[in-house]
Amino acid sequence: GDNRSAAKTSTDLTAYKNVNDIPSGRDLMIQIDQKNEAVLLPVYGSMVPFHVATIRTVSSQQDTNRNCYIRIIFNVPGTPFSPHDANSLKYQGAIYLKEVSFRSKDPRHISEVVQQIKTLRRHVVARESERAERAT
Amino acid sequence: MTDGHLFNNISLGGRGGTNPGQLKLHSGGILWKKLGGGKAVEVDKADVIGVTWMKVPRTNQLGVRIKDGLYYKFTGFRDQDLSNLFNFFQSNCGIAPEEKQLSVSGRNWGDVDLNGNMLTFLVGSKQAFEVSLADVSQMQLQGKNDVILEFHVDDTTGANEKDSLMEMSFHIPGNNTQFVGDENRP
Repeated sequence: GDNRSAAKTSTDLTAYKNVNDIPSGRDLMIQIDQKNEAVLLPVYGSMVPFHVATIRTVSSQQDTNRNCYIRIIFNVPGTPFSPHDANSLKYQGAIYLKEVSFRSKDPRHISEVVQQIKTLRRHVVARESERAERAT
Repeated sequence: MTDGHLFNNISLGGRGGTNPGQLKLHSGGILWKKLGGGKAVEVDKADVIGVTWMKVPRTNQLGVRIKDGLYYKFTGFRDQDLSNLFNFFQSNCGIAPEEKQLSVSGRNWGDVDLNGNMLTFLVGSKQAFEVSLADVSQMQLQGKNDVILEFHVDDTTGANEKDSLMEMSFHIPGNNTQFVGDENRP
């Protein structure tokens, strides 16, 4: 179906070609790079990029202590509509980052991030499925 | 002698983000001091067992592994600082710094490498990120194929990042042969 072929091509998308293409962020916080379709996550003092097409879902929640959490789930093989066939054949023996969660000091920033990731992801998935459709 | 080299604007990276400071190389080893005082890191040259360097966005990162398994990451070296660094480790520790490369492709599939306390996620043999297992409070298996790492919640380490990593999980497909049959390791 369409979902499948879209996901297949998405796995070939690349966020950055060169190390210096990563935008300089002043703060260590989750950032969205619209131009390169990347989500940058702060891990041990470094900004780690993930192409938005690798992301499956994103959600946030807030606890009673005004702590805010964000959870990002990535595409992995073996889940419905994920690029199972393409990936497991192409990258046999690979290990997948499946999920990350962060606690944030800034709820407003997190709700912005969730919205931006959802919008960007929808846009990229739509474009890729259109491209796949045209190719067939 | 390359004694007493001083590097400004060198930050120490770790669980809570990065701290700016100053790094000094001297005949006895390495001394890093946090800007404005407080935390300091002192490494005796006899304790250094491995050195790596890596190009990161707009700067360079030095990794120093010491005997007890600890691993320090210093960021902020200019390209022209590298030869001084290499000479220092070569002549004082007898260690040639090894180059690592950073993955920026944005993929979420690759390999996991365990070395001492460090877990490295590699994409196409380039490093995507590194975490310390010393900061993992709980590691659990979910189902047959998923490993969840929970990180210590610690507000006292001077975290200066807005968003802090709490949990991370890896999916290891059944056809992976690297970690088969070892439930204590991802």
